[in-house]
Amino acid sequence: MKIARKLSGKLFFLLMIITTITSNGQTVSLKGKVISDKAQPVIGANIILSGTNLGDASDIKGNFEIKNIPVGVYNIEVSSIGYTKRILRNIKIDQTTKPITIVLKETTYETEQVIVSASKYEQKLEDITASTTIIPPDFINRRNFITFDEMLRYIPGVQVNLEQVSIRGSSGYSKGVGARVLVAINGIPLYAGDNGDVVWEIIPLSDIERVEVIKGPSSSLYGSSAIGGVINIITKSIVQSPVTYFKSYFGVYDKPVHKLWDWDKKYRTFYGAEITHSGSSDNLGYTFSLKKFDNMSYRQNDYYKRYLGHIKLSYNFTPDNYLLFFSNYLYSNRGNFLYWKDSRNALVPKDEDNGNYVLSNRSFNGLIYHHKFNEQFSGEIKSSYYRTNFDGYGLEVTSSTANFFRNEVLANYNPSDKFTITTGIEASYANVKSNIFKNPEFVGAGAYFQAEYKGIERLIATFGLRYDFIKIDTLSGKNAITPRIGLNYKLSDELILRGSIGTGFRAPTPAEVFTSTAVGGGVGIKENPNLTSETSVAFEFGMQYKFKSNINLDFALFQTEYNNFIEPNLTKEGDIQFVNLPKARIQGIETITEWQIIPDELKLTIGYNYLWARNLSKNISMKYRPRNSVYTQIKYSPGQFDFGIDFRHWSRIEEIDNQLVEPPLALVVDGDKRVPVYVTDVTIGYNFLIWNIPAKIYLNAKNIFNYNYVEFIGNIAPIRNYSLSTEIYF
Amino acid sequence: MIRKLLIVLFALIFLNSCDTGIEPGEPIVPGGFSGTVTFTGTWPTGVKRTHLVVFKNPILKTEDFFLPNLSFVVDSIPYRSKTFSYNSLVNSFVNILQLWPGEYKYVVVAQSNTPEISFQRKDWWVVGVYCLNNDQTKPASLIIRSGQVTQNININVDFNNPPPQPPM
Repeated sequence: MKIARKLSGKLFFLLMIITTITSNGQTVSLKGKVISDKAQPVIGANIILSGTNLGDASDIKGNFEIKNIPVGVYNIEVSSIGYTKRILRNIKIDQTTKPITIVLKETTYETEQVIVSASKYEQKLEDITASTTIIPPDFINRRNFITFDEMLRYIPGVQVNLEQVSIRGSSGYSKGVGARVLVAINGIPLYAGDNGDVVWEIIPLSDIERVEVIKGPSSSLYGSSAIGGVINIITKSIVQSPVTYFKSYFGVYDKPVHKLWDWDKKYRTFYGAEITHSGSSDNLGYTFSLKKFDNMSYRQNDYYKRYLGHIKLSYNFTPDNYLLFFSNYLYSNRGNFLYWKDSRNALVPKDEDNGNYVLSNRSFNGLIYHHKFNEQFSGEIKSSYYRTNFDGYGLEVTSSTANFFRNEVLANYNPSDKFTITTGIEASYANVKSNIFKNPEFVGAGAYFQAEYKGIERLIATFGLRYDFIKIDTLSGKNAITPRIGLNYKLSDELILRGSIGTGFRAPTPAEVFTSTAVGGGVGIKENPNLTSETSVAFEFGMQYKFKSNINLDFALFQTEYNNFIEPNLTKEGDIQFVNLPKARIQGIETITEWQIIPDELKLTIGYNYLWARNLSKNISMKYRPRNSVYTQIKYSPGQFDFGIDFRHWSRIEEIDNQLVEPPLALVVDGDKRVPVYVTDVTIGYNFLIWNIPAKIYLNAKNIFNYNYVEFIGNIAPIRNYSLSTEIYF
Repeated sequence: MIRKLLIVLFALIFLNSCDTGIEPGEPIVPGGFSGTVTFTGTWPTGVKRTHLVVFKNPILKTEDFFLPNLSFVVDSIPYRSKTFSYNSLVNSFVNILQLWPGEYKYVVVAQSNTPEISFQRKDWWVVGVYCLNNDQTKPASLIIRSGQVTQNININVDFNNPPPQPPM
């Protein structure tokens, strides 16, 4: 009986071979190419015919050839580091088989992620002493985010109120003025010379390699504006093969839930198109991009029409020494929706604001020269010029033109594997010509130093110190010294502890000091030459725990104590003025759990933040900071499909600008209407080849339950909308 | 385990979907008030302005004298008037100020020596308080209802018997 079983087993095995490899004595070759989903050749990919020892590795152009294949039907396994393994099933290989193109998706699950923003040089993510998040590019594309700030709403610990970003409650809402989060492109700050805001639309989303988010004060390395954290956008490396990327999208807003709000009987739409060409010739790499994006908006007089141009040139003198230049130009024509008319007309502006619009031109230019002198010593020069201009047409014509120049020289020195020093100096200058900010000039200078020591087993210690001098026009100059100490201790291979204590500071922007204009309803903004810099002392304790290699838990406990915190306030005369709050304190916890349920196929992310943000002088909550926030993301990518669900929740905001809402001003009628936030988005995507060209198509349904909420008083957030986007690389 | 967790997550998401969030509120329109101010005694010299003024809350400290608390100002009352009848819908001195429904706890007649309207506490003194039973130490509240005019908000100003002054 046993012999019969053994024989039948062998017979079955033989039959399998006969049916899968139909040998007729002839052998053939299989040629093909392995490319990434961005049409770039994948070098060194292993292409193996399953169950055989036949295979090949792709060459520098991604080409491969497997010879001496008996004619038959095979499963082809294709794998490469950094890409999701792919199996092409039941592929018939014979004399008629044509060369095949195999597309591999870049993996988002990496065991050793690298980050450059925490210390201004490359570090492993697990060596960092601060809480960090890395956002891969597919996070943006699959959800069809049109502007960068949309994406930030999905990052645990990051909050966006209209266009104002805040990390762990660092900012409330002040129309983007005086950012407390430093947003940078390749390490070069992207804030305007007049009001210090970040214009998200100027960021070229198609050229993003990854985004690094440093949570918590980073003034010891980045100076003013980084008091709440840093968001650094790393652009893509130069491609090996010329590639053209084309993306287009079309979307439509659904009807509002309440018929009373249906102010336009037509469906409101948004659409856009982008074409980007990248390539390289000898040592020169280049990227050119043009994007047009229009949005009718779900609200009246909230439209925009925008054009974005992006150029990037890179010249490699040697593999380690390069010059990088990039330039972004944005033209924008948008309606100026300030507040709703009232809660019965929630998608319609106040009568006096209807028809207001803003025309703007912005140009952001950066130049980076990187030089590696030897294995121990490298340096970098970063220069930038940011010109912003806007003309607002409304109650009165407001205009401002600002030129912001910045230069930085930094050096990295690592005399041994145990010691790394980063040091640098920077200088900046801005001039403003405006009828609302006056015509101030701004001068800033800073010098910083950071040392990292790895001399004790499992322990990494960093010490940083920065000096800043800032002078705004005729006001007396301000000095600030911001030290920081950080520790990272690997208790085991699975458990990493981190902690830091440091100080931060932020100088007021010219807009916060000098703005003098009317905002409507008899209310104006009043200048405050007595405004002084705010300072902070912050500490954080965090831990990261890896469980069974596919579950990653991150926990952080943090506190930031602010002195002279700058916030807009209502004066006795009923004007808005930026003032210094004597004391404010933000405490909280943050947990993020990432669970690769099926590696590179099914991933669950859950983030939770608890924020206790108090205005200590009045013993009330700080404005526009939700106490609880939850972020849940489910991503399922079987084969060429992509499915995703994003859910985010904020508890009801406790404090708002009550004086703007309550009688007698009642500038925002029904402005006290606010609710907890529950938003659910759904994504469905499909990756495919069309004429051997990698293509993607995504259907997004955002705010699928059409939930109505506000991030700022009198401003209903986007209602349910659907969009279809397509991308091709050729 | 995974299935249960996903079911719980989906259930939570769908439970929240029952709520549509912010809803349109009931229409609220400003209201008004009317009445008569009666003057007794001799008007002081040098008075440039006399206004009936409505405050949301009493002035218990100097800081309470600021615009958001200052809810309404009636047109200036002519010098040496014996009586002055008013209706806030007609006699509004600051057009942007509207009386929204609610309770207003301090309604007074105040005078100033400044020719232009001033928002400085030091420039004003109170000569009459809206009160019940003529007890000027106990200000009465003015109740404004949506779209209605509250009548008989009468104030007696006796220059020989001035009311207590709020903190300077």
